[in-house]
Amino acid sequence: MLLSGRGDRGDPQLLLVSGKGGVGKTSVSCAVALKQARAGRRVLLVSTDPAHNLGHAWGAPLGDEPRRVLHDAGHVDAVEIDPALTVQRHLRAVGETLRRMLPERMHAPAQQHLDLAREAPGTHESAVLERLAELVVGACHPSSAYDVVVVDTAPTGHTLRLMALPERLTSWTEALLANRDRSERFGAALRGLGAGEEHVDRDAELRRVLLRRRDRFAALHELLVDPARAGFWLVTTAERLPVAETQALHTQLRALGIPVRRLLVNRRSPADGAVLTARRAVEEQHLAVLREAVPGVPLTEVPLLPGDLTGETALAALAEHLGG
Amino acid sequence: MGRWAAVRSGLEEFYAGPYRTTMRRARRDEDDLFMLVVLTEALGVPDPAAYWSAELLPATYEEFHAWHRRVGMERSPLDHVGCC
Repeated sequence: MLLSGRGDRGDPQLLLVSGKGGVGKTSVSCAVALKQARAGRRVLLVSTDPAHNLGHAWGAPLGDEPRRVLHDAGHVDAVEIDPALTVQRHLRAVGETLRRMLPERMHAPAQQHLDLAREAPGTHESAVLERLAELVVGACHPSSAYDVVVVDTAPTGHTLRLMALPERLTSWTEALLANRDRSERFGAALRGLGAGEEHVDRDAELRRVLLRRRDRFAALHELLVDPARAGFWLVTTAERLPVAETQALHTQLRALGIPVRRLLVNRRSPADGAVLTARRAVEEQHLAVLREAVPGVPLTEVPLLPGDLTGETALAALAEHLGG
Repeated sequence: MGRWAAVRSGLEEFYAGPYRTTMRRARRDEDDLFMLVVLTEALGVPDPAAYWSAELLPATYEEFHAWHRRVGMERSPLDHVGCC
């Protein structure tokens, strides 16, 4: 699938690049995007890492809205997700609804309540997920203006939690919807027993909000677990800790039902000079461990490259080594 | 109200009344549970879904007063919700 542009049914393809901090996820993501654009595809490149680096790699300031960073046969539009902006937008919308529905004297307390939600643990993460879902589900729709979506993810732990969220939140909304079902059934029974109408508007509103939520989480989850449309590339270096983390990440992604397409071993030392030759021998041992622990996933080795991986020329040099 | 109508409504109340109370209580229990979910963060229990539950707040806010009275709190348990 991936890297052949749109899938069999013409769906855009989603590639998520993950791995331990500092192994070169951003460079790899940018290089893949560049390669795809040069092959004529329209690429959306998204960073979810709170410490954004996409802008540095392309030498252009980026933000929460897609911005064209490369024109070629195709093109690359890049986004650095800004969770604070999403939280602000979300809570402002909730606040407006509250003010519309509540009497004047309740406006200040309602605002204070929303400020609590702003600072709640998990809010930042939820906002990243919200924006990612919005961007990715939109761009992966068959009618979208993109052929390939590449996501440069945050380091492992953060990404795993993010990937587990859509499924968990689907259950969360399902549970609340079941609660609404029961409440509404009792309400209907009450009306049947001659009690007056009450809460009918409120019930409809709660149900509408919950259903909209559930649909969005479900769409993202379906996309993530669909091997015909999505997959992960795990980037690592041939060192002990990154290799161990890659194994763990692979296991956990599998448990979530999210397909892993490829392992990329970045910055392999050349057999050149005493120090690097010795390094290379040590790297071989770590590679052997990785191959055994993650069987059946193609592994690509990327050599250590001279120079910084910023700008189009350097990214193109890296792209050469990424394989098909 | 005619005599028959009065008897009729009296009978209806006799039969349906207790069920109505049961139904109302069952519905309230569900609604109270829902209220708890929406207000977790404000009640001091960290709510990992606060971002999402805030969205449900507008539709439940008006019933907050009835809720805290019902669950046995005379005054609003939340400093910033000054309903009473």
